Amino acid sequence: MRLNREGLMTISRNDAAAALSDIENTQRRGMTLRGYRVGGPILMMWSLIWATGYLTMGLAPPELWLPVWLGLDVVGVAGALLLARAGKPAGAGAPPGMTWRLLGGSLALMIFALSVFWVMKPTEPAAAMAFPGLLIGVIYAVVGFWAAPRYAVIGALMFGLTLVGYVLFRPWLPFWMAAASGALFLSGVWLWRR
Amino acid sequence: MAESDDIIHQPLRLKIMAALSAEKGQPLDFPRLKTITQATDGNLGSHLATLEKAGYVAIEKDFVGKRPRTQVRLTAEGRKAFRAHVDYLRAVVEAAEDEG
Repeated sequence: MRLNREGLMTISRNDAAAALSDIENTQRRGMTLRGYRVGGPILMMWSLIWATGYLTMGLAPPELWLPVWLGLDVVGVAGALLLARAGKPAGAGAPPGMTWRLLGGSLALMIFALSVFWVMKPTEPAAAMAFPGLLIGVIYAVVGFWAAPRYAVIGALMFGLTLVGYVLFRPWLPFWMAAASGALFLSGVWLWRR
Repeated sequence: MAESDDIIHQPLRLKIMAALSAEKGQPLDFPRLKTITQATDGNLGSHLATLEKAGYVAIEKDFVGKRPRTQVRLTAEGRKAFRAHVDYLRAVVEAAEDEG
């Protein structure tokens, strides 16, 4: 900083650019933390849906799996929308297009998952059970690497737990996956509390 | 050209103002503000006191159950001063680019 002819403080271009960069980084950090606070309860809710879906796969006949999962997905998407709305700052206004982004993203995921089953035709139930865990794990990991690092940890955890279950506990995979939803719930608490 | 606001320009105070400005009028509690600004307790407290004295932030203390809570929010004056300072910073960068 230096004084100009009027005795006012002036700053150099580098100082000004550094200050603007500081502002941007701070606001991005704040936004990420706010995202964690909103995302935590959504993750906790999905852990319950996850457990219900996998317990259904473990206890109910296969013809019920698809309708139950579709129903649970609808509940999950609606719940995520409500929780996201409740979690935003009152003065922030509606995030532009968030509802459509969430609905479109969920629909794309569902179509992708159903298409994979249709194309690959898994003959072993364990393969069909492991697929959602791997898919969600990799999605969280990608979100984590692009925007919010804690999701990378959660994604790696879900991916790892799914593979461990598939390799070591295949006969009990639906129950293993239902139990793994506890890790998803704790991940939600971790996001929410920080 | 706008002028530099020397109260806001101090690096930690700039971060505090930036963090609060992004909250769109909602308060931030002390621990979250500390995490966002990456400051220590003492440092954050002393710079918040400076900003409060300037009328740029309002600090409210209450209890959640038995636990004390400190919440900080940007005042209207603080929001105006922060915007003006950001405009000033942008003007400095743009002026330097034009000269270059």
